[in-house]
Amino acid sequence: MAERMVTDLSRHIIEITSEFSGTQLLIFGAIERGIPQADGGHGVVIEGMDYDIIVVVQSGRNDMIVRRKELVGPIWVNREYRTLKNVQGYYAVTSTRPLKLILPIEQLQNLEAGMEQLKIEFVEPVTLEEQKEFRAGFIRNMKARKLYNQQEGTISVLDDILFRAILEFPANMPVGEYQVDVHLIRDGEILLSEQSPLEVGKTGLERLIFQFAHEYPPYYGIMAVIVALFAGLLGGFLSKKMSG
Amino acid sequence: MQIYLPIAEISINIFLLLAMGGGVGFLSGMFGVGGGFLMTPLLIFVGIPPAVAVATEANQITAASVSGAVAHGRRGGIDYKMGGVLIIGGAVGSYFGAMILTILKATGQVDLMISLAYVLFLGSIGGMMFVESVRSILRNRRGEAPKVGRRPRTWVDALPFKMRFRASKMYVSAILPLAIGALVGVLAAIMGVGGGFVMVPAMIYLLNMPIKVVIGTSLFQITFVTASVTFLHSVNTQTVDVVLALILLIGAVIGAQIGARVGIKLKGEQLRILLAILVLVVCAKMAVDLVVKPVELYSISPVGESY
Repeated sequence: MAERMVTDLSRHIIEITSEFSGTQLLIFGAIERGIPQADGGHGVVIEGMDYDIIVVVQSGRNDMIVRRKELVGPIWVNREYRTLKNVQGYYAVTSTRPLKLILPIEQLQNLEAGMEQLKIEFVEPVTLEEQKEFRAGFIRNMKARKLYNQQEGTISVLDDILFRAILEFPANMPVGEYQVDVHLIRDGEILLSEQSPLEVGKTGLERLIFQFAHEYPPYYGIMAVIVALFAGLLGGFLSKKMSG
Repeated sequence: MQIYLPIAEISINIFLLLAMGGGVGFLSGMFGVGGGFLMTPLLIFVGIPPAVAVATEANQITAASVSGAVAHGRRGGIDYKMGGVLIIGGAVGSYFGAMILTILKATGQVDLMISLAYVLFLGSIGGMMFVESVRSILRNRRGEAPKVGRRPRTWVDALPFKMRFRASKMYVSAILPLAIGALVGVLAAIMGVGGGFVMVPAMIYLLNMPIKVVIGTSLFQITFVTASVTFLHSVNTQTVDVVLALILLIGAVIGAQIGARVGIKLKGEQLRILLAILVLVVCAKMAVDLVVKPVELYSISPVGESY
């Protein structure tokens, strides 16, 4: 009998409202052990049953431009650039132990588990060194924006049955469909992989304003001008009152 | 209390924004300047994407200048014909400015150009103001009266296409106000400033307009040109954040009231020296940032999107 695993998220929809300042997501689940059939597991001391969990959360993908500043005369100017093909706008990985102790590197690469294991391709031809530098520059930028996270060893597994992982999302997280993958691993072997969808969207006034601005730009522009004129006149009127 | 800005797509403390609006409003009330040249760098400094900062600040300046323009208009402080010519120039300038900004964004040079434009203009205007106000203070000390009388004829009078501006009692070529308006339009579009700091000296020293119509006419032009910039950026790059503009405006209205009261107590020359120093400090800060090696040499931006 093989293992079984059930997983769920504390919520499947994250809504970005006007008070939104980032959020946490709880990913939890239970493992049903695979126990040798012959003795039914009664009174048997089970060795090597230490399960490992890797959780990977990623948003939709987009092309990204990475630029490098160089000294031109006395000032620093963006010169060289490379386009990264189809990279995640948000990426987080967390695990029970350091990733390299859980799986061999090729397997981690297949799962895109770990920032170093991300498959990043370039649109332009690049030398090996450029590839390394632009890739590292990109990841540093994403980490600084808290959009890329890696926390190894923070998932706790209770009695080899229950596990929970907490992921942080910053306020500037991209909207769209996310994908949450939970991998159950033992002895360098992936036993099970579960996938759950996660949706991140703007709601309320934020969404209205954003959609209005992007879908009807000319009307949005006119609205912005009218709002400004009205607010400005009102402000002028009020300050006249205030100053008597 | 954090607020999520829908267009800038960041979450920021609302009291910080109110304080920024209030602080810049205070200075603009005290000095009688728009304050865009302070607000745009401040917005960039707190993490608003530069393109959003520029576009949103244009929107806020529309709001900040309209009631002043109306007040001056009631008092007869606007030369509408001159204003109209400046606006035509401004509309053309803002169109090209918005186009330049869109191209710069595609090539990743927006931050650099905004900084360079600031350093160049703030440096020269601040320097000129500083020298001028020091001179006039020295003149006052020696008890000399400023020279009055008919201005000498200059190259300005040699330009063709002359128009009569009755409110300003001037007969001058339309080319110069058109060019000034256009320059202000470009600046408004790429720097997120009203451009009063360029237009007012140009009106006084180049056009020799009477002082009583200078401020009103410039506010009149700024209202229309920043409105046009707001519209163009909305259409081209969707970078106008109305929520951000309104919050800044609330702070600015209150700040300007207090600033105006403090300003009355100070002398004109002192005010101008203080303003010149302020302008030079902002300029120096931006210049240093251009020259000092950045901590992170790499920057990212999504393809297709502006920022």
